[in-house]
Amino acid sequence: MQITTSPTPAVPSRPASGLLSFWRSFSRSRTGLIGFWMLVIAIFVAVFAPLLAPYERGASTSVQIDDIYQPPSSAHWFGTDDAGQDVLTNFIYGARVSLTVGFFAAFISIVIGGVFGLVAGFFGGRWENFLMRFTDIMLVIPDLPLTVVIVALTKPSLWNIIFVIGILGWTTTARVVRSQTLAVKSRKFVLRARAIGASKFHILVQHILPLVLPILVVQAVLAISLAILNESTLSFIGLGDPSAPSWGQMLNFAFGRGAMSVGAWWALVVPGFGIVWVVLSLTLLGQGLEQVLNPRLDTHHLMAGRPVVQKEAGAKPIQSDVLLEVQNLSIHYVGEGKAPARAVENISFTLREGELIGLVGESGCGKTTLMLALLKLLPSAGQIANGKVFYNGNDLTVMDEEEINKIRWSNISIVFQGAMNALNPVRTVGEQIGEAILKHEPSFPKDKLNARVSELLELVGIASDHREHFPHQYSGGMRQRAMIAMALACNPKVIIADEPTTALDVMIQAQILELLDTLRKKLGLAVIFVTHDLGVVAELCDKVLVMYGGVTAEYAEVDVIYNEPKHPYTQELLKAFPDLTKPKKKLSSIPGYPPRLDNLPAGCRFAPRCPAAFERCHTDEPALHAPQKDHIVGCHLAEASK
Amino acid sequence: MDRTRAILRKAAWSVFTIFFVIILNFFLFRVLPGDPARAGIRDPRLNKDAIEALRVRFGLDKPVINCFETLNPIKVGSCAVNPMETQFFIYIKNLLQGELGYSYHTNRPVVDVLGERLWNTILLIGAGQILAIVFGVAFGIFAAWRARTSIDYMAVGASLVAWSLPTFWLAILLLFWGSTIGLPVAGKATPGMSSYPLLQQWGDIAKHMLLPTLTYTIVYMGEYTLIMRSSLLDVLSEDYILTAKAKGLNTVQILRDHALKNAMLPLVTVIAINLGFTVAGVIQIESVFSWPGLGSAIYEAVVRRDFPMLQGAFLLIAVTVILANLLADLTYTYLDPRVRVE
Amino acid sequence: MMNTSTEKFLEIRGLKKYFEAGRPSLFSRDTKHVHAVDGVSLTLRRSEVIALVGESGCGKSTLGLLLMGLEDPTEGTVIFEEQDITHLNDHQRKDLRRKIQMVFQDPYESLNPTQTIEEIVTEPLIVHGMGASQQEREERVKKAMEDAGLKPAEVYLSRYPHELSGGQRQRVVIAAALVLEPEIIIADEPVSMLDVSIRAEVINLLAELRISRQIAVIFITHDLGSVGFFADRVAVMYLGRIVEIGTMLEVLEKPQHPYTKALLSVIPVPNPRLRHERIILQGETPNPINIPTGCRFHPRCPVAIDACKLSDPAMTQLSKSHQAACLLVTNK
Repeated sequence: MQITTSPTPAVPSRPASGLLSFWRSFSRSRTGLIGFWMLVIAIFVAVFAPLLAPYERGASTSVQIDDIYQPPSSAHWFGTDDAGQDVLTNFIYGARVSLTVGFFAAFISIVIGGVFGLVAGFFGGRWENFLMRFTDIMLVIPDLPLTVVIVALTKPSLWNIIFVIGILGWTTTARVVRSQTLAVKSRKFVLRARAIGASKFHILVQHILPLVLPILVVQAVLAISLAILNESTLSFIGLGDPSAPSWGQMLNFAFGRGAMSVGAWWALVVPGFGIVWVVLSLTLLGQGLEQVLNPRLDTHHLMAGRPVVQKEAGAKPIQSDVLLEVQNLSIHYVGEGKAPARAVENISFTLREGELIGLVGESGCGKTTLMLALLKLLPSAGQIANGKVFYNGNDLTVMDEEEINKIRWSNISIVFQGAMNALNPVRTVGEQIGEAILKHEPSFPKDKLNARVSELLELVGIASDHREHFPHQYSGGMRQRAMIAMALACNPKVIIADEPTTALDVMIQAQILELLDTLRKKLGLAVIFVTHDLGVVAELCDKVLVMYGGVTAEYAEVDVIYNEPKHPYTQELLKAFPDLTKPKKKLSSIPGYPPRLDNLPAGCRFAPRCPAAFERCHTDEPALHAPQKDHIVGCHLAEASK
Repeated sequence: MDRTRAILRKAAWSVFTIFFVIILNFFLFRVLPGDPARAGIRDPRLNKDAIEALRVRFGLDKPVINCFETLNPIKVGSCAVNPMETQFFIYIKNLLQGELGYSYHTNRPVVDVLGERLWNTILLIGAGQILAIVFGVAFGIFAAWRARTSIDYMAVGASLVAWSLPTFWLAILLLFWGSTIGLPVAGKATPGMSSYPLLQQWGDIAKHMLLPTLTYTIVYMGEYTLIMRSSLLDVLSEDYILTAKAKGLNTVQILRDHALKNAMLPLVTVIAINLGFTVAGVIQIESVFSWPGLGSAIYEAVVRRDFPMLQGAFLLIAVTVILANLLADLTYTYLDPRVRVE
Repeated sequence: MMNTSTEKFLEIRGLKKYFEAGRPSLFSRDTKHVHAVDGVSLTLRRSEVIALVGESGCGKSTLGLLLMGLEDPTEGTVIFEEQDITHLNDHQRKDLRRKIQMVFQDPYESLNPTQTIEEIVTEPLIVHGMGASQQEREERVKKAMEDAGLKPAEVYLSRYPHELSGGQRQRVVIAAALVLEPEIIIADEPVSMLDVSIRAEVINLLAELRISRQIAVIFITHDLGSVGFFADRVAVMYLGRIVEIGTMLEVLEKPQHPYTKALLSVIPVPNPRLRHERIILQGETPNPINIPTGCRFHPRCPVAIDACKLSDPAMTQLSKSHQAACLLVTNK
């Protein structure tokens, strides 16, 4: 249920070249870019070592006492080491060794891990069992001690080290590749490929591999950094290859040959710095790549919201029996460096006790945004740009968190769509309902709490012993009913139901609709019912607000909407909606797609798809007209018919 | 019922892994070319008979696993018919009796040496892990809560750098710094402290522990911060957090009652997987600070080519990590109701 | 109206699919089974459209997978063009896979995000080795795309799925099916994830294709309302069985089975003046692991009698095309 503006394309745009678009998304991550350039510098130093190094490696043939551990000077920028050698030269050549070990060892690990993971994930069965068990064992065994043991028992040559690090480093990769393979294998397009008759090999190469490769690349980056760390540790312990002085070797010599006691900090700091530079560059690069592959939104529900634009409280509504009055509400989504997306513009409606208003619209029309705004639950990018929301005469838009927390749930509660994750999976349902009660009535007697929760559950048709169960033990229909029970816990006056039955079977939907209707009659509950289902609205609602592209298309009593619709969108929608009483009716559709909220057309938002559009529709946004009492239409045509 | 079966299955698997390690341990030391016989008894002062006597003493004259000439290229010495006479069986028998051989270097039983050192390592790891977890979780929570602000960027940046530092290098730097400000830089206790009262002894140990523990904490704290942060970010974008907010709960209540428990679960998994890598850090830290633990035992064994010690230390470390992993796994099973109640 | 020869094009007899439900516990040997499809018999004529309707758990999707050969039946036979195709291996099935194609529910997941539209629609040709040259393949692809309403095809060829809308994506899936010139298309909830205002596009497309290309369509859906003008016959499923089947008008206007009646009564009608009495069944569909004894619908049936607990009613022929499995209907 991520609140995003709907990602609908207008006409398919220019083709996106693979590499270019990758670089574009990659460069959005600062960490990734920094890491990339750091790595480029390191590789540059390694490749051009002979050109960059001030001295030749192993230049001095005899060791003069005076040359040992000389501090940095103009002759030796980083001083000299325990053998009188120039530290800078060794440092530059050390890059070669470290990077060579890193790349080759990682290569071995990635190949082994990749093959194991792919085979295990794709073929399953005994292969998977054996490979994964083996991987698990090797994962548990601590790798550095094992590496140390093996290298200690074999020759400490560079290629040996590369080989050992490589064949011990595949475990994490194997696990990750296997998970990814399994995940891709279960996707619908793989099933479709099977349905077409594609062979296993074809599926593996065409479908699985392209989606596993990116993961492998990220793993490779990680493997290189780990290999470099491993090699430097081995060298430091004394298991390195003395003929290939890596940074770890330099540190081994320095530490073991008295750099500390002499105070030769340059011999200790410089090689280590090299290791940190390369490993950090790889880590940052890995982070950047991760960001491209699994873009995380980096926003969450507890981030501070944006301040409301209009700070003063507005004029209070006149009628006294009006529970909720929304006046000219506009909501924008503010993005970095872009014009704000005008998600909702100028919406008004009223709600009285016991009234049920249906909010109708399709994907991207802004109905969920509107509902969230009423209780100030918008994500951090959302902002109430204009308008008021009056509840019982109080303006909710100017309240701060503390004030509105008192209104939330106890007066206005909300049932979200797709209750799959709307309940906390690690707490019992009963606890979560009880929590709502205790929040708003802290003095509620604890011993009566369980009874009250059971009462609420039974009200929605759930046996009270389910109180102690966790959400995953409930079926989809039960979860939705539990959400309704929770929404009723504090006896609110208004319930906002956001597509509460969309994902449910039609019989369960009927049960829930009946429940809502009963509650409305028994408790005088007012309900805002958000849906795209015109049938449900006709069955249940007193009033209807039809939204399109974030604005009001039409707002009237239910009978008027269905039998005298004036807005072309309403008319077309009714034509597109199947009617069981007229089974042979040919369904029509509305060509085109809803507008992108950050790229709205000039004029009426529905004009591109409207069969009755004329010139003015494409230039002027229509005002809200009232062709008859209590009937609002946002269309130029309605103006004429007044 | 299912839960007990799951626990038994996991425990059985750990036992199997331990067997695997035992066998692996044996074969590594016998198969790989760094033959302890050749390495450990390389002393040029010994004549042929003395060498042979030493080989008999260390049981290196017996065949490795079996006695079929054609099938066993790795046998050492003459072929004996009795399988109980093979090195492998003697090895297993000794293990079951708690015997890990004798150190080439000190001639003391390996078990004794390791036994002394085990507790020192546990002390170090224990203190370091606790601090790393506490600080890592705290910083991670803070960074996630204030995601995309400067606090977040600093926390993430510092953690990434900490993760990229080679542990031994950090140890060296801290050692260097510590020596300039007068902190003890080697060993566990000042020689001669044992005659002082207990409290002062502990104070002395604590002073010696300061730098090693600090090193350990910095290295692992970074990783835990990053994990906690991403885990909490994931949790805080879930729908049930929005429900909690809609219910009128304030931020502290939401974090405390809904977010933290869910966010901690992946961390438990990571800590478990990490145990193997933690050992790598311990080896480096103990070596640099000469802290008398299992890690430095491995280091010294490598330097001195003391293979029985190396073999014993490896085995002990591996078994400890396997058991710790099992414990973590069971803890996770206990904490996550989705797994617990089916 | 339709080309309905009496030749039996596709015939299903007593088809069953049981899945194993978990492992047997320490104490009991019996493995529990999920009776996903529990005895379905059906015939389909050339270029006929039959709608399989039911709620979640009724087995309609599993039935689709069985017909596609993506699952192996536990029992029963499937006969296509006089040939028994019940148990074929992948190799034998290959030619069949050309003739019977499937369109899935989720247009966002049915397409591989790393493939271009051209690659997606060409892939089936490559798999089946159809099209002698690249040029011929390109032509077939173009024709299939335009038949699926993606005109002009060139505009779409080099795009990626994420650049298209839901409706367009579903058309790509249909194009990829059409390119093999199938004889049957099994559409599993092809429009339930699309906006209401564009559902008709896809349904109308299938209706056109049925006429222009003589393709039979098995339309699997939970939305009875959308099958009206398109389906020749409707089969209502409950807990793995067909409980009522007949022509569209017979089932929708003169339903005989209590479940069908209840289902029809609760489907909301977009006309506030027609608010009517609804037969709302209590509880939820039982778990297909524990099928009730006797008539599987009796625990929720508003008009069940004692006999319903004991005997499992067979299909009663009500008219030439209309059948229902209910004791009360039998006894009339």
